[in-house]
Amino acid sequence: MKLKLERRVAPSQIMQYLSPLLAVGLTALTGLCMFIAMGKDPATAFYVFAVQPIENLYGVGELLIKASPLILIGLGLAVGFRANVWNIGAEGQLTVGVIFSGVVALHYGPQGGSWVLPAMVVAGAFGGMLWSAIPAFLRTRFNANEILTSLMLTYVAQLWLSYLIYGPWRDPNGFNFPQSEPLAPSALFPILIEGTRLNASVLITLAAVVFTWFILKRSFVGYQLQVVGLSEPAARYAGFNGRRAVWIAMLAGGVASGIAGVGEIAGPLGQLFPTASPGYGFAAIIVAFLGRLQPIGIVLGGLLISLLYLSGEAAQMTLNLPSAITGLFQGVLLFFLLGADILITYRIRVIPGTVKLKKVTA
Amino acid sequence: MFSMTRRNFLRSSAAGATIGLGPGLKAFAQNEVLKVGVVHQGPIAENGWEAFHARAWRSLESKSGGKVKVTVLDNVQQAQDAERVFRQLAAQGHQLIMGTTFSQYATLRKLAPTLPKTKFECCAGIGTLDNLGVFEARSYEGTYLTGIAAGKMTKSNVLGWVGAFPVPQVIYGLNAFMLGARSVNPNAVCKLIWANAWSDPAKEKDAINALVSQGADVLSGSPNTPVQGLAAEEKGVWSIGSSGDFSAFVKNRQLTSFELDWTSAYAEAAQGVIDGKWKAESKWRGLGPGGFVRMTTQNAALPAEVRALMAEKEKAILEGKFHPFTGEIKDQSGKVRVAAGATMPDAELRSIDWLVEGIQGQLPRT
Amino acid sequence: MDTLSAIVIATLVAGTPLVYAGLGELVTEKSGMLNLGVEGMMLFGAVTAFAVTHATHNLWLGVLFAAFAGAVLAAIFALLTLTLKANQVASGLALAIFGAGASAFLGKPYVGVALAREPSELAAWVSGIPLIGSTLVLLHPLIYLSWAAFGGVFWFLYSTRAGLVLRAVGESPASAHSIGYPVNTVRLYAVLFGGAMAGIAGAYLAVVYTSLWVEGMTAGRGWIALSLVVFATWRPERVLLGAYLFGGMTTVQLFAQGAGIPVPPEMMSALPYLATIVVLVLISRNPTLVQLNAPASLGKLFHGEA
Repeated sequence: MKLKLERRVAPSQIMQYLSPLLAVGLTALTGLCMFIAMGKDPATAFYVFAVQPIENLYGVGELLIKASPLILIGLGLAVGFRANVWNIGAEGQLTVGVIFSGVVALHYGPQGGSWVLPAMVVAGAFGGMLWSAIPAFLRTRFNANEILTSLMLTYVAQLWLSYLIYGPWRDPNGFNFPQSEPLAPSALFPILIEGTRLNASVLITLAAVVFTWFILKRSFVGYQLQVVGLSEPAARYAGFNGRRAVWIAMLAGGVASGIAGVGEIAGPLGQLFPTASPGYGFAAIIVAFLGRLQPIGIVLGGLLISLLYLSGEAAQMTLNLPSAITGLFQGVLLFFLLGADILITYRIRVIPGTVKLKKVTA
Repeated sequence: MFSMTRRNFLRSSAAGATIGLGPGLKAFAQNEVLKVGVVHQGPIAENGWEAFHARAWRSLESKSGGKVKVTVLDNVQQAQDAERVFRQLAAQGHQLIMGTTFSQYATLRKLAPTLPKTKFECCAGIGTLDNLGVFEARSYEGTYLTGIAAGKMTKSNVLGWVGAFPVPQVIYGLNAFMLGARSVNPNAVCKLIWANAWSDPAKEKDAINALVSQGADVLSGSPNTPVQGLAAEEKGVWSIGSSGDFSAFVKNRQLTSFELDWTSAYAEAAQGVIDGKWKAESKWRGLGPGGFVRMTTQNAALPAEVRALMAEKEKAILEGKFHPFTGEIKDQSGKVRVAAGATMPDAELRSIDWLVEGIQGQLPRT
Repeated sequence: MDTLSAIVIATLVAGTPLVYAGLGELVTEKSGMLNLGVEGMMLFGAVTAFAVTHATHNLWLGVLFAAFAGAVLAAIFALLTLTLKANQVASGLALAIFGAGASAFLGKPYVGVALAREPSELAAWVSGIPLIGSTLVLLHPLIYLSWAAFGGVFWFLYSTRAGLVLRAVGESPASAHSIGYPVNTVRLYAVLFGGAMAGIAGAYLAVVYTSLWVEGMTAGRGWIALSLVVFATWRPERVLLGAYLFGGMTTVQLFAQGAGIPVPPEMMSALPYLATIVVLVLISRNPTLVQLNAPASLGKLFHGEA
């Protein structure tokens, strides 16, 4: 008897919803085994991982404020991935968004005015867009692969921000610590719920979800992107401009990342530091895939990854587990998610062993 | 802010003992346990910056006889996450919360006023608040003394310094190193390379190799791993442990070293909260009892006269008779920054942003 | 030693982990598989090598186990992408995250611990060789082995039947399958090889070069190696050159700082990345050249029968 993977006639709708649950279940199971092996009580561990981070309003606010950049960038990247344009440089585009909006915040923030914050968002979007335009240009003009160019530019962007914070943008009252002066109130997103850090930038993300859904599902541009992604010859035959698709794909990711960067400095950070994000640009790539490049899925994926970050901290605080547990669980969850997805397009069949014929004697 | 001499330390602790209870504080009950929260930015290691804090809170916990319980998080690298972690520690009943690096200061400064019942202390920061104190080490006292050893032992007159990032503590440490070396060897110069990375030992080693092939024969500056000492062993040059003693791994070529010792910072903070007498202070201490800088090993190959010189200077610093940043001090462009006989005031020293004459390297420009 | 020799040696040293990881990923990609998890495999290899060398005091044993460890991680990738038909980009990223987390977890007891450096008998013997001995001994055997690996990969890909099969599988798995070649098996071996090489690259950093374990110590070199394969337009000799170009630029920027050249250090640090982009643009301008060498099926799913 053995197991065989057999292609389904049509992708299973049920499994589309079940497979993430299966993956989470398997991850939880793995986790439980690990906890038992480490001598921790599984029930407490489960509570700490799944419930504790969000058991109060502050926790929920944290979940949302951490998920917001992940979702926003994930949406932008998903647009590109559909068109087979691999923007790996979202982290760098976020950083340049921080730089550009930082200029506005530091120069005009102290003067005040309700125009400062929107200007920052525009500047951040522009910065991210600019940084993603470089790989787009290099690909359309010189055929240079965007994976490499966008990735290399990430390092350049981080060094640029580091140069600014250690140098010209250093807070003159800051004892020469590498940080900018704190952002003026007019340069900060207003808090939505008292007692949390949830700020108005989540509204931008929400708008982006709706906008992206519309673009991808209902607009011709979205359709074009999808065709270009599936088959470039077909797209060309249909007259779709492959180059334009690359530009749109890259710029979408850049704008989203740039705005996410503004959300960080005008939000939970309130200041500029040599690094602006704990790797949101890379985590968002995972979120985009978790969400199967669909807006709703990306929202759920973003919330899940955000929860995992918070769980890791709770685990350290309450269970004394090492900090490395977060990365470990994220990886394991991803493995199970990717593995379980096969059940959507394939089913498992049990093939019975061969029957032994007995000689019949007369 | 005054420099920590033995006399001053005794004076201040006596004063502290006679001051009445601070505002809103009460002493702990007999079997009440103090919960202390500590947040590390990097992973806790065997040696290096995080290890010094780890030693301090471990010592606090073990010596407290059960009165202190420490909750530790490490690898909290970004300020956004640090804020959440600090807040949650406070919400979970930790009455004393320690920040371990300057990059947590801005977060704590924002947070402390919103959590008035919790006491915070941060390792390096700008100014105090009602419930936020800071503590920092006068590492320049350590580097000055090791600089003497470097200046005496170098044959090429070229020293080498590998820095991670140009933060103020590193800069004044480096400056003192050069001043100490030049006090015994006016021809010494120090080449400076910034690795621009906190934990990339391969890159640090690359930087060290560059320094050595450009003539450096005494190295210092790399604080977190033994990579500098190991490279020195390979190349046959001297390594000086700067805020780190790696002699356990570097058997032959570590010339001398000093460590940071935060034990008294943690102990005093905890005791203060337990006694209900905690006050926000700005502690900037170097060598001496209750201080934060401790000279450690000396290589057998270090000649007696050099040891004597170092000991003599150490004694002078402890007695308040000598300050490493006493003029005349010129910067790299030759401009006189501290007049002959004058001492650089603390405020200026803490935020120093220039390099002394003899250092060959760059600082970021404002 | 004069500065030029020092720079040359430093370049070779800095480039070696990139050579190993780059050659490994090259073979993987030539078979049509895009494994983005190089960073994770390198870290996992590094921590394994460190742990084993620490326990056994045998560096070569550590390197061997590191290769094995890298291959184990690569096997997970193969399972996900070949058997379970998962998306390669996501699987590779998941591998990178898992590898980083697992290595940090396993490496906890070793952070900041240094390996004892034992004097090598081999080195003593080599330096005794007349004339060239003193020069040869300046480089670690793993560097020489990396050149051998380059030669091996080159010969394998372009002079053996197996290499031809691998390239065919990468170009058009459907055609290869119809001829009867076991596409998934070939890809599995290519992926495992990539993992093993990444593991050795990590081992080199942790056990040969620095004798230390620090979390995340590869510091992005796995991602650089990935980029190198693209930069090299999937030619092994260009992987070698690219690795040394990148290593060289890193080295030069450090030497320049030490020589007191008044350029902001961040700008110097950015040079290797900018240089890579420039060279890539120059190379890619001829699309035919790129297409001739890029495996056509890279990253695409192959729906064959097992």
